[in-house]
This record gives sequence, structure tokens and C-alpha cells, in this order.
Amino acid sequence: MSFFQSLLDHINYLGAVALFVIGLFTVVTHGNLIKRIMGINIMGTGIFLFFVAIGNVTGGLPPIIDPAEEGGTFINPLPSVLILTGIVVVVSITVYSLSLVVRIYETYGTTDQDEIAKMIREENDND
Amino acid sequence: MTMIEQLPVINLLALLAMALLVPLLRGRSFKTTLILGLCVLLGVLLSSILILYHVHTEGAFYYHFGGHSPVFGIELLINEFSALFTMLIIALVTLVYVYSTGDATEGIGENEYGRYYILLFILLFSMFGIIYTNDLFNTYVFMEILSITTCSIISIKRKKENYTSAFRYVMLNEIGSLSYLFGVALLYMITGYTNIELVHGAIQQSWPLYSANVVTAVAFMVVGIGFKAAIFPFHIWLPDAHAAAPNSSSAILSAIVVKVYLLILVKVIYSVYGVTIMTALNMPLIIGLIAAVGMVMGSVFAIAQKDIKRMLGYSSVAQIGYIVMGISLMSVAGLSAAFFHIVSHGLMKAALFLAAGIIIYDRKIRRVNLFDGLGFQFPVSMFVFGIAALGMIGIPITTGFIAKFNLAFATLDAGRGIFIVIIVISGLLNALYYMPVLISAFLRDNPEKQRHITFEKAPRTMLVPVVVLGILILALGIYPDLIWGLLESAVLSLQ
Repeated sequence: MSFFQSLLDHINYLGAVALFVIGLFTVVTHGNLIKRIMGINIMGTGIFLFFVAIGNVTGGLPPIIDPAEEGGTFINPLPSVLILTGIVVVVSITVYSLSLVVRIYETYGTTDQDEIAKMIREENDND
Repeated sequence: MTMIEQLPVINLLALLAMALLVPLLRGRSFKTTLILGLCVLLGVLLSSILILYHVHTEGAFYYHFGGHSPVFGIELLINEFSALFTMLIIALVTLVYVYSTGDATEGIGENEYGRYYILLFILLFSMFGIIYTNDLFNTYVFMEILSITTCSIISIKRKKENYTSAFRYVMLNEIGSLSYLFGVALLYMITGYTNIELVHGAIQQSWPLYSANVVTAVAFMVVGIGFKAAIFPFHIWLPDAHAAAPNSSSAILSAIVVKVYLLILVKVIYSVYGVTIMTALNMPLIIGLIAAVGMVMGSVFAIAQKDIKRMLGYSSVAQIGYIVMGISLMSVAGLSAAFFHIVSHGLMKAALFLAAGIIIYDRKIRRVNLFDGLGFQFPVSMFVFGIAALGMIGIPITTGFIAKFNLAFATLDAGRGIFIVIIVISGLLNALYYMPVLISAFLRDNPEKQRHITFEKAPRTMLVPVVVLGILILALGIYPDLIWGLLESAVLSLQ
């Protein structure tokens, strides 16, 4: 039972790592460029979840501190703040790579990695 | 806090402000923008020299943003290491900037001319940030700014292959920086800090208790930075990306941006984890082996290249191997040799890309086998190309020789004499692809020679930086002591 108990206790971390691996798998194996960008986003979400999970304190309250009250356990707010920055960064990377995909689609007429590679190879052979 | 201790932030702000000014100056003639940009670069260069002098006389200092304590806030650490490398970066970029005023239009539309300079200044801003900052998460943010701007510079040319190589670059770089961030998260989990010094202090004693976390974090961070710095098995994006970029920015990407990632690797290995943990995890040997394979394989791939810029790109992969080898030795001598090679490769690769850029600018040829007799038509640029190429091979009186010589001695000191064989083999392989270019340029006859009697049609602003680079390669090759003392104190300033 202790195995399942520890599994349950660390479910946040396991979920985060699972998301990271799913994202990495998508980026590396998929041929569709849009899906690869989605993979990057899933990877990022996994890490963000991991960061936020670190900040959790068992039995902690949201860190809105009432000056009238003393003491109390609060959740660590710092990871959430860091992750706000991280989300902004990943959004900007996503926007940039999507705009690149638009350009690639305009020039090659496809968003499939294999077809683009084939076209480039044919072009090089013609040179 | 004296005025000089405010200068690092003023440097960052000046670079950022210049990036914002470029679109505002759109109505004026482009020359105004260029001159203003040069003034900003020279100002930042001057203040970086002042900071370097201040650090060497008064000692290192910290800058806390908003006065927050380093536990919560962002901290800049200006020590011998960061002061020296920001100074070197700005000096090299100023040279390339002067060159780019003659050449930046290559492949970039007239109305997008300004955009290149916006990106260049943001690129500089992020590199300064990475080197100054003493915070792991802040490093991640600056790294992302750097990778977005480098990708944009690659994709600024409206050419088919630029889009695909920029896309590959952005994907692999993103895997790299997210891996790095995962490593930071694992460290935050056990220490509760993102500040480099606090993390270092916290894990020195307690790391055996959390060995799983530390091992995973080391692996994620080293591999993540490996992707970004194009260390051998993760290098596949580099040759395409650097070959596709505009000429002057290939020089910046290959000579400086990759080195900045290597400096992050140095920071992670020496300042965050420290030599004790790295040695206990057997990382020096692992990184050293990767570097050795990279040194040989990068050169082997370079031999097969027909495009001059791709060849230079693969040569960078091999040279990064040398630097990583020096970093992996975990000794003062090894790291000093690595730092010296960072400087010398920066100079040589910039000279090679810029000299090749002059020929591409004038003749629009990029194939190595069309270089016959060019030594007579471009005496200045091919001569500098020759100096830099000989430096890459490691011929004495160039910086490349000093770097390899010291690296070889450092490997002996560290008891890994077998790596000297790799250094020699890699040097010979370098000769195999640089010598044919030089031979065909200087010793072969060109059938078109009679028709092209005009020498060096390139503008002076392009020739002068190339010549300065050539002189610097020789000067530092003959008097390495000019910079060796600074490099050694930079090594000692890392924990």
C-alpha cells in the first residue's frame, strides 16, 4: 500500500513529469510543425506545474496576509510569480514560431516536416 | 553606492533604449540611426572598461534591483568574470557593427534595415543580462530573449531556407531552455532559492541527502545548455542557422552568442554546483568525452562541406569542443585555457565570417571550389582569412596556437594526457579543410583574373574591422600576457 500512498502523495510531480515527457515526445517525433509547437507548450506546462507544485505547503493558506491576525501557514507564492514570467516567455516563443510556420506555409504550401525536407532535397539535387 | 556601481544597469538600459529608438528615428536618414547606435556602443564599451577597472581595484560588487534581498529579488553580480566578458563582447560587437553598416542590406529588404539593428541591440542587452545576473531564473528569462532575437535575425532574410533553419533552431533551443528550467525547478525544490550563491551554499553540505534531485538537475541543466551552445551531439541546428543568417550576424552568432551559452555552462558548473559535486558525480569525465568526440566529429563534418559558411559553422562545432574540454578539466589552468580559446575563437571566427562575407558581398559566390585565385583579387580580406584559418589549425604566432598549447598542458596537469592525441588529430583535421581554401585562393590561377583587375571593391567600413581583427589575432598570439592575467583573475573570481 505504501507504494500507492507515495504515488498519491507525489501525484503533482508525476503529472508534471508526464506532461514534460509527452511534450518532448511530440516535439521530437511529430512531422507536423504546428503539433511540434504544441509539444513545446505541453513541455512548458509540465515545468510550470512542477514549479507551482513545489510551492505548495501542506495545510497552507493562500498568502493573503491579514495584518490583524498573527501566524498561520502560507503557501509559498514565489514559484507562482516566477511562473507568471515563464508563461509570458513561452507565449512569446509560441507566437514567434507560429508566425514562422505561416511563412513556411506561404513558401512551401505545407506544414509537414517530411514534405518540406523532400522539397529541399529535390531543390538541392537540381542545383 | 558610487556612480560606477550604477553603470551595469545603465549599460543594460542604454542598449534597450537604443533598440527602442531605432523605429522612432524612422523619419530621419538612416545614417543618423547608425551614428547614434555607434555612439551607444562606444559609450557602453567605455563604461564596461570603467567597470572592469573598478572591479580590479575595488573588488566585486552587487546590485539589488529595487533593494530587495537576494532571497526574493534579482541580483546582479559584477565581478572579474562578468566585467571582463561584457567588455570583450561589446568590443567585438562594435567591430562587427562597423562592418555591418556596409553590408547589412545583404538579403534584407531596404525597409527592414532598421529591424536588424533593433534585434542586434536587444541581443546585446540579453547577453549583458545573462553575464551580469546572479540568479538562475533570471538567466532563463534572458536566455529566452536571446534565443528569440537570434532566431529573428536568422529569419530576417526573406529566403526559403532561412525559415526552415530558424524553425529548427527555435524548436531545439526551446527544448534546451525548458530542460534548463526543469533543472532550476529541481534545485529550487531542495534549496528554496534561485540565487546562484545561495543555491551554492545550500547544496554544498546537504547534497548527498538529495542526491536524486541534484543528479537530475545537473543532467537537465548541462544537456539544456548543451543544446543551446551546440555541444557536439546537440549541434545539428548550428550549421544551417549560421549559414543562413546575414553575413555580419553569422559572425555575431558564431563568435559571441554561442560563447555566452558556454559562459552559462561555466557558471552552472563552477558557481552553482562547484567542483566538489561535479567531481563526485563524475561529470568532468563525461563532459570531457563529449567534448573530445565533438572536436573530431565537427571537423570531419566540416571537410565534407562545399558551402563556405556551412564549413565555418561545422568548424565552430569542433572549436566549441576545445572550449568544453577546457571547462571539463575542473582546474584553473584548464578553465583559463578555455577562456582564452573563447576569446581567440571569437576573434578568429569573426574574422573568417567577415572576410568570407566581403567575398560573398562582392562576388556572390559561396562554394569553396570557386575560390580559385581570389587571393590576388581580395588581397586584404583573403590575407586576414588566411591568418584566421591558420589560427584555427593552431600555427604559432596566432591566438589559436596559444589556446591549444595551454589546453594541452592543462590536460596533462589534469592527468588526461590521452586527450592531447585528440587535440592533435583535431588540429590536423582542421588543416584538411582550411588549407584547400587557402591553396586555391593563393596558389591557383583564376581564368577570370584578367577581367577582374579591380582590388577590394568593398567599402572601407567593411575592410577596417577585418584588418583590426587580423591584427588582434596576431597581437594576442605574440603577447598573450596582454589578456592572460585578466582571464586568470576571472577564473579565480568564480567560486
